[in-house]
Amino acid sequence: MPIYPVLALIAAALVVGLELCVLRTGVFRRPAYWIAMVIVFAFMIPVDGWLTKLSAPIVIYRDADTSGWRPVWDILGEEFVYAFALVTLVIIAWERAAGADE
Amino acid sequence: MDHFQYVGLLAFCLLLTLPLEFVFEARVWRRPKRLARALTPAFVVFVLWDLWASASGTWDFDDRYTIGLRLPGGMAVEELAFFLVIPICALLTLESVRNVMAGRTRLHRARDRVAA
Repeated sequence: MPIYPVLALIAAALVVGLELCVLRTGVFRRPAYWIAMVIVFAFMIPVDGWLTKLSAPIVIYRDADTSGWRPVWDILGEEFVYAFALVTLVIIAWERAAGADE
Repeated sequence: MDHFQYVGLLAFCLLLTLPLEFVFEARVWRRPKRLARALTPAFVVFVLWDLWASASGTWDFDDRYTIGLRLPGGMAVEELAFFLVIPICALLTLESVRNVMAGRTRLHRARDRVAA
């Protein structure tokens, strides 16, 4: 298995594990989290698409390190897993830090 | 101008989401301590990952579309901003969704004033 999709899946699993076993903020049970994720993913298509489009990429991947599966506008499938891990980790930390400014 | 493609894309994301702070009262920018605590863990982990992936060659950046500043190993400096900008956009989205669902936005209050 190529390294990038493997690491993206590990990162997503670690973030899910962190939420379910350690921090337990409850975001996965909240509709607002899932609705926000759908919106984030929708906007990810033009943004990440612009970054990684094969016609004039800003970010260039080594083919051997990727799945090669590009479901939407040349975006690698593992990019969505990576984005899930990044955004969810930020949201969990945001939930944990509630009240920090009061 | 092509050198500013990446940084311009990030600036565009910030500009596009800024109204959420006010129209939907997201209050992400106005809670700096909470925001810093939310961003820090992911920033550290994903920047370390990016430094390693850039150095090992999993990904690279086109000098035509970046300002040309590189961190050791070849990571484009724009990536540092990416790991702040994208999370801020996501948090603005989350808080906006929450406020819309709860009827707590500037638009709701304006409608209530009209009705009253």
